[in-house]
Amino acid sequence: MAEISEAPDSDSSKLFGSDSKAPQRPDSEPEFDPKLMRKTKPGLKRLFLTFSVLFSFLLGFPFLWKSVEIYRSPLPFREIDSLSTQLRSDTLLFPLHFHALFVGFDSDPDRLRWSILSEITKLTSQNPKCSDNYTLSVTVDLGSRCLRGRTSSPHSSSYQCGSVTGGDFVQNDDVAVDERLASVFGGKNNEYSMAVVKGVSERAVVGKYRHAWMVVGDGSDVEMAVVKVAEVLIKVFINGGREEGLIRNEFMPVGADGKIVLSFNLLNADPHDWVYDWDFEKIDDTLLTPMIEALGPVANISVESQVLYHTPKASFSYWNQKLESYVFSTKDLPFFVNSNEWHLDTSIAAGGRSKILQFAVYVPSAKECPLLLQLPNGEISKTNGFISPMWGGVIVWNPQGCLRDSEFKPSAKNIIPIQQDLENMFEVFIGQFRQLFGFKSLNVYTGASGDWNLLPSERGFTEWELDVLSRQHTCFNLHSCATTLGSLSRLVQSLPRMIIKDEIGKQVKLSLEAAKLALSNASSGVYESSAASSSQARSLAEDAFFHPSIMSVSYYSFEHCFAVYSPFFLPVSMHVVLAALRELRRYKQEKAKYLAWKAKANTAT
Amino acid sequence: MALLRRPLLLLLLIVTHQFLQFRIAFGSVNEEGQKQEEFYEELLLKPLPDRKLLTHFHFQSSAPPSTSNGRHHHLFPKAISQLVLKFQVKEMELSFTQGRWNYESWGGFDPIPSSNAKPPGVELWAVFDAPQHLIDALWKNLTHTLSGLFCASINFLESSTAYSAPEWSFPPASGKLRYGTLPREAVCTENLTPWLKLLPCRDKAGISMLLDRPSIYRGFYHSQRLHLTSTGSGSEGMDPGIILEQTLTVVLQPDSQRASLAHASEKHIQPSWSLSSIFGKQISGRCVLAETSSVYFLLDKGLVAELEHIHKENEKSEENVLISEKFWNNPSFELSAKPDRIFIEESSLLSKNASVLYKFEIEKYGESEPFDLGLFWKTPVVWLCQQAPLHANRFLMGSGNERGAIAISLKSTQSSEGFMGSNSNDERCELRVDVFQVVPWYVKVYFHSLQVFVDQQPKAVSDIIEKIHVSPSKDKVSPGVMELVLTLPCSVSSAVLTIEFDKGFLHIDEYPPDANQGFDIPSAIVSFPNFHARMVFLENDSLNKSPLLSKFQEKSPVMSYTEVLLVPLTTPDFSMPYNVITITCTVFALYFGSLLNALRRRVAEEERFLKDKAAKKMDRIPLLLSKLSAKLRGRHLEGPQAPPASSSFINSKSVLKVILIAGLAVYWQYYFS
Repeated sequence: MAEISEAPDSDSSKLFGSDSKAPQRPDSEPEFDPKLMRKTKPGLKRLFLTFSVLFSFLLGFPFLWKSVEIYRSPLPFREIDSLSTQLRSDTLLFPLHFHALFVGFDSDPDRLRWSILSEITKLTSQNPKCSDNYTLSVTVDLGSRCLRGRTSSPHSSSYQCGSVTGGDFVQNDDVAVDERLASVFGGKNNEYSMAVVKGVSERAVVGKYRHAWMVVGDGSDVEMAVVKVAEVLIKVFINGGREEGLIRNEFMPVGADGKIVLSFNLLNADPHDWVYDWDFEKIDDTLLTPMIEALGPVANISVESQVLYHTPKASFSYWNQKLESYVFSTKDLPFFVNSNEWHLDTSIAAGGRSKILQFAVYVPSAKECPLLLQLPNGEISKTNGFISPMWGGVIVWNPQGCLRDSEFKPSAKNIIPIQQDLENMFEVFIGQFRQLFGFKSLNVYTGASGDWNLLPSERGFTEWELDVLSRQHTCFNLHSCATTLGSLSRLVQSLPRMIIKDEIGKQVKLSLEAAKLALSNASSGVYESSAASSSQARSLAEDAFFHPSIMSVSYYSFEHCFAVYSPFFLPVSMHVVLAALRELRRYKQEKAKYLAWKAKANTAT
Repeated sequence: MALLRRPLLLLLLIVTHQFLQFRIAFGSVNEEGQKQEEFYEELLLKPLPDRKLLTHFHFQSSAPPSTSNGRHHHLFPKAISQLVLKFQVKEMELSFTQGRWNYESWGGFDPIPSSNAKPPGVELWAVFDAPQHLIDALWKNLTHTLSGLFCASINFLESSTAYSAPEWSFPPASGKLRYGTLPREAVCTENLTPWLKLLPCRDKAGISMLLDRPSIYRGFYHSQRLHLTSTGSGSEGMDPGIILEQTLTVVLQPDSQRASLAHASEKHIQPSWSLSSIFGKQISGRCVLAETSSVYFLLDKGLVAELEHIHKENEKSEENVLISEKFWNNPSFELSAKPDRIFIEESSLLSKNASVLYKFEIEKYGESEPFDLGLFWKTPVVWLCQQAPLHANRFLMGSGNERGAIAISLKSTQSSEGFMGSNSNDERCELRVDVFQVVPWYVKVYFHSLQVFVDQQPKAVSDIIEKIHVSPSKDKVSPGVMELVLTLPCSVSSAVLTIEFDKGFLHIDEYPPDANQGFDIPSAIVSFPNFHARMVFLENDSLNKSPLLSKFQEKSPVMSYTEVLLVPLTTPDFSMPYNVITITCTVFALYFGSLLNALRRRVAEEERFLKDKAAKKMDRIPLLLSKLSAKLRGRHLEGPQAPPASSSFINSKSVLKVILIAGLAVYWQYYFS
């Protein structure tokens, strides 16, 4: 607008100036032209006034900006980034110590050590997320004296010579041998022992604690034993004996708050035919409680059960004459779970982010009994059950003699017999639970160099398996914490007008602290506390990410702010800026006039 | 209080100690003598005077005290048990209702209306077994859980403006009771499905098979209720036992077209119906998990009297037809199935009439022979249901958006005269009426303006009101609660309570969507503590104890709910704040701009300039005119050269300006996209 009103004036003055200056310049006498010159200095009053208004506006602007600013708790973005880069750059190392004991061999421990190490490096697969930092010591027990490797660590020195002899392994009772070795090796937290003994009956067994032993024939080669030792150390003790690609290692069926709810459901497909009930409380006490206690460091597990009725499966089975039963093939398994009719409620007692694993016993109705599950290779499943990763497992249980005579009419309410059926069922469930964690449900490990017998624990999980779980749990939690915090920081940075409460900042800070503690504990080998603090870090990170205030839509958008302030500031700033510009231009013009006059006066004098 | 404690004691007796005495009788007692979870299903059908039919489904599940409640369940819904344990609920009632119970024609004195007639929308009350300071937090969490469980917006009861803590109107709970209603909640299948999920057979078998959604939602009244009581733990370390009672009360209009065709002449005859005609379904077998599964057909006192009267006129025999051998095919009506048992109400001292209850057991029926009860009326019958002593209505008075008044009117009903008569033997016959009213905070009630009119005569408040408990509303914090105990003379024919209020202003954020519809004032509860809705049926065997009948025997005070009121509040134009901002800002900007201009104005210079201009040039308009005439003549004007040049300059300038503005617009668009 300034230009519009000002333009004709100034331009015309310039125009006139250029015409009229030319004839006037040769004139030496100071001829005063009021259009082009002035005798007085131009006044600064109005210029000063408009500029002071403009500057006060400019100065006030930061205050206004500050006052409309929304509250954002400062988040430690740099620390979050450093945590994720730290985890990505493979510094999460779990210290492990291996101890190999050769009884009855007469070879140099250092040479044995070197060959085992070279085998180990061949087997080690690069786990992209967490790796282990292991040391190895080798002892050769000659009965009266021991040959120790030069690089033996303080761990192996605790072994007393002659405490393991070939005679211990003569008996065929693996459990007794296991207990014997447990008393010898003592089982320190991150120390795994491996005994190789010459004997008669060749065996290879992994015990319940943190050791394994192998009885080799008299004439057998030391090199062969070395290969097997390396394999058991890496594949069993470190990787948990699991097969690659069966269940991805990252999946841990543990809720973000470190809790698992095992929800057991007995599904009576059609109660008109028969109704089965179970005595769950007894099974809970005898079978499940020890397992839950064993898994304590990894997850806080609670158990619930219910009996549901009128719950048919979602897909059809067909009659197989040869097997005299109804067969359900594996390819239809995705349609077995009937999510419409199986109201396997989520638990109210469990917190919001607990993981609920559903285990269902399906009692088929009379028109589809006995129901068998068929494997893809045509065989019938032995357990008659299946798992669905991260969801749970299903077992089909056929009532006894449901087909044999058509007269079979059980009374209105039956109890599933505890002794055979219910206990078997729960053993299958424990197997399925192990599978959900990625372990094998069989107790034989078939490696490249031969089979290993795995001793099962009555608690469901052996000690070395629990070690594997807690390492994996720590690793998983730390990575998930880092990704959650990373997403949070990206989200927060991408939405500059989102309100972030102090609580979130506090949670992020605590989560980072817990993650750091878990990292330092892990590198010093304190598994249990590192698992605990890592799960705390993860749950805090999730709390921060899922904080209700982040979800709220009441964030103060820029458009809103603009809409509120523009009706005042847009016209006013227009006035102020234009006034300042005009005054500035006028001042310049007047000053030029004054200078022109002054120059003229000077030349005249 | 004593009256209420008695049924509770009775229940406790049934639950905890009966197994010792009736150990053989109860099939569900296992070897260890521990009671197991039980489930009962029952259906009550009752013809109503205005050609409608009341169907009342009653399901009861119970879990005995045990160490594993909330974790291991066989029949009882796990979710409910976990809810009771987590929120320490001692007693709770949740109802979803659509429609309004017609107290005038459907009766107000029986146990069914007084405990199952509920206000429209959602009503929730709960008693907690927890320290006083935890109760509000527990209530908030409970509302959230229930809203998740029943797919309803019960979570709106969380805010402290939505619930209150009545003192007398509910079971005495010494401040541990919370009460809230949502009058506008719409009730539909999404609320029924989770409710059905709590039944072991859902709607797959048994009586609940009748719940055909289109038929039940077509009814005149539909109330789905859930009542749970935790019975207290038997011993140390045991979780409390829980009794969950689920009822569904539906008032349906039997499709009377067939009947009217057959008896076109008879306009007053009651419509004949059968289960398949009203629900479109039949009961094919019981739910195998239920202890008992039975259907009851109830004939009202008034109806029984009327039928006997008709019978006597026709036959002149003294024999009571309704309970005789041929009762199911009597001159007045015909039942399509033969009842298994007949119960007659233990008649009270004054009336010789008693209700008659026919019981049908579903056990006998199955897939091949479904149960389909039908009723065929032969003669027209007119009767009246038993009314509550006073009929309560509530309405708004006044007009405008500023103030108004609430009036609760109590009118004496004809049928209650008998009760009055029995009491009037005493010198001072008094009728006690309890009124409980919650008003939202934006309806600012002036309690001093309470006025009482008895038989159209104004009375002193202190004469009529025996006790009053008022907790005034706090703005945006808590609603106002008024509890009154009135003592009216028995001969009263009408009583009116009025109270004035001002309408408050809400903050713009507090208006609900569609604020112009108005705001609801929840129903007031009018109860008559001296009158008990109770039906005791003569039973000669305690084996087939029915939860429905024992519910009928409980002494509960007669209760009725008034209408929901709709108060229109002033609703602002919701764009108003922005309009205000815009207009004030514009005024400020104008003022500021002119102030700035005035400050930098050079009056003297401008005047000089103007004078100069006037001296130099003639007026602009003659100049323009002369230019125009010159153009018209096709000759160039000799005069000043400047105007054409400057005009061309202005043109190029304006083009520049247009470009500048377009550029700004493009930049703006780009920046904001």
